[in-house]
This record gives sequence, structure tokens and C-alpha cells, in this order.
Amino acid sequence: MAILELRNVDKFFDDFVAVDRVSLSIEEGEFFTIVGPSGSGKTTMIRMLVGMDKPTNGQILLRGEAINDVPANLRPTCMVFQSLALFPHMTVGGNVEYSMKCKGVPKPERRRRALHFLSVAHLPESYYDKPVTQCSGGERQRVAIARALAFDPEILFFDEPLSAIDYRLRKVLERELKDIQRATGKTFVYITHSLEEAMVMSDRIAVMRKGRIAQIGTPNEIYRSPNSHFVSEFMGEVNSFKVRPEKAGSLVDVESGRAIIVEPDAAPAGFKAGVLVVRPEDMLMGRQIPAGAACILKGRIVNEYVLGSRVQYQVRSGESLYLVEKIRATEDAEGIGSDVEIGWRPGDARVFDEPLQ
Amino acid sequence: MSDIHPITRRLLWIFFAAACLLMYLPMLVTALASLSRSRFFIFPVSKYSWKWYEDTLSSLQIEQAAIISLIVAVMVAVISVALAFVGALAYARYDWKGRKSFQYLVMLPIFFPQAVLGLAVQLWLNTLGVPMSWHSTVFGQLVWIAPIATLVIAIQVFAYDPAFEDAARDLGATRWQAMRDITLPLLWPGIFSGFLFSLLLSWSNFPFAYYTSGADVTIPEWLHAKMIGGYTPMVPAVGTLSILVGAVMLCGGFAIAYAAKTIAARRRLATAAR
Repeated sequence: MAILELRNVDKFFDDFVAVDRVSLSIEEGEFFTIVGPSGSGKTTMIRMLVGMDKPTNGQILLRGEAINDVPANLRPTCMVFQSLALFPHMTVGGNVEYSMKCKGVPKPERRRRALHFLSVAHLPESYYDKPVTQCSGGERQRVAIARALAFDPEILFFDEPLSAIDYRLRKVLERELKDIQRATGKTFVYITHSLEEAMVMSDRIAVMRKGRIAQIGTPNEIYRSPNSHFVSEFMGEVNSFKVRPEKAGSLVDVESGRAIIVEPDAAPAGFKAGVLVVRPEDMLMGRQIPAGAACILKGRIVNEYVLGSRVQYQVRSGESLYLVEKIRATEDAEGIGSDVEIGWRPGDARVFDEPLQ
Repeated sequence: MSDIHPITRRLLWIFFAAACLLMYLPMLVTALASLSRSRFFIFPVSKYSWKWYEDTLSSLQIEQAAIISLIVAVMVAVISVALAFVGALAYARYDWKGRKSFQYLVMLPIFFPQAVLGLAVQLWLNTLGVPMSWHSTVFGQLVWIAPIATLVIAIQVFAYDPAFEDAARDLGATRWQAMRDITLPLLWPGIFSGFLFSLLLSWSNFPFAYYTSGADVTIPEWLHAKMIGGYTPMVPAVGTLSILVGAVMLCGGFAIAYAAKTIAARRRLATAAR
């Protein structure tokens, strides 16, 4: 049985619909991430999940039992706040022990368990007596995780706790968090606006848009088979073309009038108009690209961005700019100013049915 | 400081000295006047003596006034902090319908001249038939001092992140536990300054006492009465002593705050050593 289930959950603020008929279920021991741009309703979602807000309609079930009206302090779940909300007048130990103190656990036992959770969160035991205000950013994250674990929650919620951390430390903490989740076997529900964060840590991801779930799936499913233009764009930079059907196996680019070859089943049945999307890493580029490409665009490289192991090229063709991504090692001598042909294999494009603006 | 031009620095020093002189000279003059042997307020002081202080300290009337002033000040401080604490939470912490109007309403008494407000309170108490004594003075001063204490504490509340309380509740704390363990300790500096502020404001407050204390006399009232009819250097003597008492309250407050901090730090060290 699912540990947490949402059935047709709505949340209205006056006339504003923050969460719109959301249903989903989260399995025991899963690392589940809710990802979406700001204003997509993900913060409202987590506030309802932890019990700080009540849904307007629908049900939230914990192991099959409705918990809509159970306040946060009576729920067996715990949250790591965006601001972390570590109690600044307490030591690291005082913070970690706080939930046990509220339950009336005797002091020596509290201390013993707090020290255990410090080590689980990769903090030295000597930090027990350190004032929490003297900890660095990364240490504070670990204290917050230890404090939440010490509550022994059925589910741990995270509200973008890593958003204020610099890139390198964030990468380290993402891995640590995933390790802690595996080691403890707890169910983690994580909220973020960052696709990268979601991809690295999650078993499954729910993408939210305007209060609704746009897609749920494993990171790979969502990256490889997005179900809408929105998801494909949100999951990374893409090249988009507004298209209309022409004849079987071919679409026409609305802006240039150019024919684009697609796989026979690429466009949904009854397709009238929509968007064709190709990821930069699926693009072909060269002085002459091989035959069998979906279409050939002639252009000139106008920009080059080195992304560590990969290189991204910006190619201007007519009025439009396209992104092409290559592994550096296999790169030819093309650089800024070179005239190139770009295109893609018909199988690498995805077509989404949606009204053209 | 090193990148300030020497002339600018000299001007700043002159300004600083002038400000100090203008503010503190009158107090010094009062102190000097209280040490004069002569009955009259004349400078230069020809003969110094402690006579007026001896008279002051042995006067039953002044002792009575000091006790009343002190009781009123402590009562006002305690009640206004209790009111101001919940008031400040309503003012700055919670979002509720009518909060804006509440904020204006709380500020209103501060904008009234105290003399007018004192008279209004007196008329009101008369209408209700409440007998005038230092009890009614406590009430009268609260009208003016509680809003100020509310503002002082509200500043602390504005800087307080409600997520702390949410986090405590999420970790299983009851409302009361969250209040005791998290909210109160974090708002403590504001509550403490609100208390000190109220104590000092009440101690030196004249208008409300004048209108509402009936037959009871506070120190500022006694000073006023003596200045109008029957000046002796006891007036500056009592004034100087009154300033000293205020200073002692303030220093005492800081001393208590400092001691609490040191004790907490020592306790932390002790647990660390164990």
C-alpha cells in the first residue's frame, strides 16, 4: 500500500486556485520529488502534506487513513524547512534533541540518540555542544537533517533546503541526502524548482504546472519521454518548431514553410497543430550532415559555450537561433563563424499537440 | 576612521562635544543647585553643603512619594509588558482581518498630547465614579505606555521568523511548548527592553499622575508642586536623586541581562566539559 496518497486535492486561496485536483501516491521508502517553476503550487502542496494548511477539497491519506485535519504536531511526519529554521538560541545537540524533549525522553537517552543522528548526518560528535549559529552553511543543512531524523518520522519532507547553497557544496549534499535516504530506508518527499536536483536524487518525479501535475515518472522517463512541451522545456533546453501536418510522415514548419520528416506515429491522431521539440544533444551538425536527417538547416555558429565535458553551440539559421550540444572529444574544427548544416534524425524529435500562439 | 579628513574629524568632535554639553549640562546644573547651602536658585554657588540631601532623605513625605512612584512604575511595567507581548504578536506576527486598523488604533494614544490624554482619563474615571488614587494612575499611564511597549516588542517580532514556531510544532511541540521553548526566548530581548522602557517612562511621568492620582503624590508631582509654591534646593536634590534611580534601573537591567548571558554560557561550558 502507498504510504501517502492524495485524492483529488484542491487548495483555493479566495479565488486563486493554488492546487487543482491533484491525485498521486507515494510508495514506502521512495525518494519522491515534486518539481515545478515558482507559482506552480508546490509550496502549497508541501504545506498541506505536513499539516500547516488544510486542503479545500479532497483527501490526504497516510497509510490509508485520512489526515486532512490532523495538525502538524500530531502527524508522524517532519519537514526540513527552506530556511532550515534551526533554533538559533540552542546548540546543535539542543536542536537535534528538541523533538525528544517534547516527548519527555530523559536527558541521557536524548543525548545518546542525538549523537547517533549526528553521525548519520555526517557531523562529528563534538558538534553536540556547538552553538548552531557558529555552524557553516553545509553543517547547518546536516543539523537540520539530523533534527528531522531524530523525530523518527514516517515521511521526511524537504522544502528546497539546498536552494541557498553554492553549486559545489550542493552537489555534495545532494549525494549525501540520497545516501542517508538509502541507509535509513525512510520515505523522502522533496520539493524543488531545480530539475538537476530532482534528477540526481529522485526515484520518481512529479512535475507541477499551474497547480496541476503535468507528469509523474522516473527521472529517465521524464527526460526521455516528456508528455508535453512544458515538461520537455522544463527538463532542459530544447529546440522548438511550430508545426502543422502536411502529409503522412511529414510536417511543415509554420515559420519557414520547410518540410520536416517525422516517424509515422510521431504526431498524435487528429493532429492539427503543435510543437516539435529536439534536444540539443540529439542535434546533428557538420559541414554536411548525413542523408536521412529530418531536415537540413543551413546556418552559422554564432556562439560557443563550454560546459565542462560538453560544448554547446548556438547556430543562427535565418532569423532563428538553435542549440547544438556535442561531446568535446569528438568535435571537428568548427568554431564561431563556421558555416554549418544542422538537423536531426526523425526518431529524435517529439511532437506535442497544442494550440499555436 | 582613517580615511576621514582631519578637518572633518575635528568638526565631528566639536559637534559631539556640543551635543553632549547641551544635553547633560542642565542635569549637571541641577545637581550643582542641589548642593547649594543657600535657599535660592542663584549662581555661582557660594557655599556647598549636603544639607538638602539630608533633609530629603529624612522627609517622610518624599519617602512616601518615592514608594508610590516605584510601585506605580513596577505595576505599569509588568502590566504593559504583558499587554504589549500579546499586542505585539497581533501587531506584527499574525495576519488577521482588521490588523491594519488595530495597528493604527494602538498608535493613537502616542499621538495625543499627554496632558490632554491625562485629562481625558480623569474625566472618564470621574464619569464612571472610580475613586482617584495611585491605582487609577497605573491605569492612566498604561494608556500611554502600553502602546510604546507594544512598538518596542513589535520590532523584535517583525524580525522573528514564524518558521521557527512552525518547525517546533512540526517536531511535535504543543502550542505551549513552542511558546515556552522557542518564541519567548527568541523575543526575550524585545520583551526585556519593553519592560525597562515602561519602568523608566512611568517613573518620570508627570501628566497622568497629575490628573489621576487623587490624594496620592508621586515624585514628579511632588517636584511640580514644590516648584510652583515653595522652592527649596530640595527640588533639585530630589530631581538629581530621581535621575540616579532611573540610571540604577537601567544599569540594573543591563546587569541582569549580562548575568543571564554569562550564566547560560557557563552552563553550556559545564555540559561541554562533562
